[in-house]
Amino acid sequence: MRWSIVRGSPLVPLLRSPGFARATLVYLASYAGVGAWLPRARLAPVPGWAHAIGLEAPFSSPLFLVGCAALFASTCACTWGKASRARRIFRGELPPGSTVLRARTAADLEAFLRQRGFRGQGPVRRRLAAGLWGSWLLHAGLLVLMVGALGQQAFYDGGSFELAPGEALRLDEPGRISARSRGLLAPAQPPALEVVLREFDPRHHEPGYAPDRRSLLAARLVGSGWRSAALDRAQGLDLEGGVRLYQANPTGLALVLSPAEGPLRSVHLHGTGRIMEGALPRPGAEPLRFEASSERGLLDPDGTGAIRVLLRSGEGTRELRPGETFAMGGGWATLLGMAWWSGFSYARSPGMPAVLAGFGLILLGCAALVLPAGVARLGGGEARLFAVRGGEQLRSEWERWAPGRRGSGDA
Amino acid sequence: MRDAVIQSCSFWAAVAVYALSTVLHFAGLSFERPRLAGWGRGLAAAGLAPHACALALRWAEVGHGPWNTRYEVLSSQAFVVVALWLVASVLAPGLRGAGALVVPCALLLLGWAVSTFGLKTEVPIVFKSCWLALHVAFAKLFAGSAVLASACAVAYLRKRRRPASLRALPRPEVLDLHAHQLLLLSFLCLGVMIVAGSLWANQAWGRYWAWDPMETSSLATWIAFAVILHLRVLHRWSGPRMAWLTLLALAFTATTLYAVAAVVPTIHASYMVTQ
Repeated sequence: MRWSIVRGSPLVPLLRSPGFARATLVYLASYAGVGAWLPRARLAPVPGWAHAIGLEAPFSSPLFLVGCAALFASTCACTWGKASRARRIFRGELPPGSTVLRARTAADLEAFLRQRGFRGQGPVRRRLAAGLWGSWLLHAGLLVLMVGALGQQAFYDGGSFELAPGEALRLDEPGRISARSRGLLAPAQPPALEVVLREFDPRHHEPGYAPDRRSLLAARLVGSGWRSAALDRAQGLDLEGGVRLYQANPTGLALVLSPAEGPLRSVHLHGTGRIMEGALPRPGAEPLRFEASSERGLLDPDGTGAIRVLLRSGEGTRELRPGETFAMGGGWATLLGMAWWSGFSYARSPGMPAVLAGFGLILLGCAALVLPAGVARLGGGEARLFAVRGGEQLRSEWERWAPGRRGSGDA
Repeated sequence: MRDAVIQSCSFWAAVAVYALSTVLHFAGLSFERPRLAGWGRGLAAAGLAPHACALALRWAEVGHGPWNTRYEVLSSQAFVVVALWLVASVLAPGLRGAGALVVPCALLLLGWAVSTFGLKTEVPIVFKSCWLALHVAFAKLFAGSAVLASACAVAYLRKRRRPASLRALPRPEVLDLHAHQLLLLSFLCLGVMIVAGSLWANQAWGRYWAWDPMETSSLATWIAFAVILHLRVLHRWSGPRMAWLTLLALAFTATTLYAVAAVVPTIHASYMVTQ
């Protein structure tokens, strides 16, 4: 009953209409095209109207999501019935408007069809019949991809963190993760993952590749065993629970401090060019601020050159050299030296298999579409023919065809 | 040093052979001598040998495939365009005459490519992926098949206007069909290119899609191709309208592969045509 209501609705013919599909595709292509160029426009301040309709983030704005919803509805409506149509054609039930190859001699017609790749016994001859399902596969793949992408977004969880060599952290501790991106259905907490950075080389040179970051780290989900691996920007590290770790781009210098009591600490300095800054919070007092300036840029092939470190606090500003002490909290700390910190990211994306399935179906559909599939039904001395393309061309070739001449009628 | 000289000589030999092939193709068309065009086709095939040699020597020298500088990207693109045309013209002899458009196109690409012939750089470590080879190979096949489809569309428009012209080429209806087939191939190759790129990004960064301008432009191009194919299949558009739309598809292709990387800040820019 419910289906008959949907079927009777004027919405269905609209969604199934080629015009609606075309309008949706043109809209999305135009929108995506504009979106591709928007980064240039972002150099200027975003106007109020663009901000109001979410164009600052064009691919999560309502305008884009409405287009995606229309595409989903249109694809859904168009896919319905495509498979059974392909099955009917495969069986030889050809649609109205199929090409008719008029009789010359029956033997010639069979020979012509054979020469053009149609195979089989009996009245139905087929050529590359897998191509009949190309359109259905492509549309079904689009639907799977859209649903998969939605699911992937809903369950996606990712974020960034920093470590200096010798440092360890647990991702689910408060304040450890920055730039967290979490879908609606993703767990509220980051994974209970312990990570230790053992070594970091910001300019590791692998033969054939430009110098790049490389880390040696160990990680484990709480309750499971440690896993050590070298990590670079080529590939992530798979861990238990579907969590992957990635070497990220950001890197910088860190001050290694030895407090009078407690373990070593590091202050990560951030900045661009040759000036970097960092802060160390102090309970009940202004944070200690550090500023480091280097002779050359951080990733200069010749190294940073000499680095000067300044300490700013309520008591004033002073230069800090390795081995010197300064007041920190209720006691003292010593600057041991400098190290690199490195950025990492984690991701867990349980929806990826659905996205991959969508990709696979789309590619399969595209590949099948390229095949020049066809079905011919012999009867009454003539043949009715359905070809996914080139039906008229085949008819024209048949009219010029002479047995024994390969390709006669071409050109 | 010796390899560098051989590499340079091979490249310029390929340029010279393609240039001669272009002249023969034009002469064949202008004087309606199909034999000249046939020689031009043979020369283009012969030009692939020194061209392949130049590309292989560069690959051996820099230790990576042709995907890092303007020279590497465009020179390999020209190679794929010519090779694809030669293969297509074996499968569909009617496409032989399209050489008059394809070979000059390859020559122009080589002319642009040579501006950074001397530049040799290492690739970022993120290029260490099997998906990259698939991504780049299908990008080249995508562009090559779009160029061939457009060559058919141009020939179609010309023959429709003056049926007596371009006698080496098949009837306009056959050109129209070839343009459609090649556009479908281009659509498939673009799809594989996008998917391989997504899988590569997922392997390296944990995100399969980041709305990078180049990614977005590829998606827009894929959708534009889908619109054109819908018009053909569902609305039975063919003839001049479809020929013009095929040329529009080529414009989308060129914009995605070259213009976006050259103009908009994108992660693809540094290792494509900008240097």
